[in-house]
Amino acid sequence: MRRVVGSYLAELADQLGRPSAARAAIVAELEDGLWTATIAHQTRGLPPEEAARTAVAEFGDPHTVAAGFGPELAAATGRRVALALLTTGPLVGSCWLLLGAATWRWTGRELPAALGLVVALVGLVLVVAVPAAVLSVAVSGRLSRWLPTGPQVGATAAAVAASACVVGDLLLLGGLLAAAVLTGGLAWPAALLAAGVSSTRLSLAGRAARRCLAARATLT
Amino acid sequence: MRAEVLKGHLDGLLLAALEAGPLHGYAVMEALRTGSGGRVDLPTGTVYPALHRLERAELVRSRWSTEGGRRRRSYELTPAGSRALAEERGSWQEFSTTVSALLEGRPSPAPA
Repeated sequence: MRRVVGSYLAELADQLGRPSAARAAIVAELEDGLWTATIAHQTRGLPPEEAARTAVAEFGDPHTVAAGFGPELAAATGRRVALALLTTGPLVGSCWLLLGAATWRWTGRELPAALGLVVALVGLVLVVAVPAAVLSVAVSGRLSRWLPTGPQVGATAAAVAASACVVGDLLLLGGLLAAAVLTGGLAWPAALLAAGVSSTRLSLAGRAARRCLAARATLT
Repeated sequence: MRAEVLKGHLDGLLLAALEAGPLHGYAVMEALRTGSGGRVDLPTGTVYPALHRLERAELVRSRWSTEGGRRRRSYELTPAGSRALAEERGSWQEFSTTVSALLEGRPSPAPA
């Protein structure tokens, strides 16, 4: 009996994608349902093994059940990524603003005008990233009632936001390198902090973008 | 009753099943099966994604508890879900009245 239910749940877990926390919650919920169904069939007189097989058959093919959760998992992935970007964005921005202020205070010099281009491009990136992240959060919540394509839009928007952050971080790191060459003097502790934070965010955002696109691909 | 016949109405049926009080996924399916005299008999596993979708749309909310050593997730209607259910009932009433009239070859009643 345990083997029958366990085997079904293992196959279901294998078919479900990321995020792993959502996957674990789904498996736990269906495990409860399967055992409830099994006990109900035993109460009606079926032997334990047959009751478990009947419950498993009643639930349906695990591949079909897992596919049914595709939109929910895509929406959850997009929402998590978008919220992470919206909450960490100000932190990353603050580190770069700190670098600018610390450099000016320490060296008495402002950053070269050429780096103004970097700042403008990062501004453009924000114009893309922030609305995309906000859209992803919005369509994965209450608005999903009126937007049946919400999970697809949400996962795509989150991927766009994460990719934009990758571009933004690359621009900032490139600008830092140029500033080090052009000015010869930076507030290095602040520079290392900003570079470290952006490098970390760049790596995580890149993986998050791929994860969102993979979740989106399961919906087509 | 074939699954494709229920397509588009499943959300309303789930909201109606939860109107009496919180239920977990399997209990929702049993309520539909019992309430329809066995005519509504979808694969139980397909009800869960629909409940998750309703929660994402904030028409139901869930909470976890522990029953018999297992984690159980139960769902209940939100105020928005109650309003959605009332709208669904009104839409269905209008739809079924119109289609019945057409199938029976009699004039449809005028819209309210």
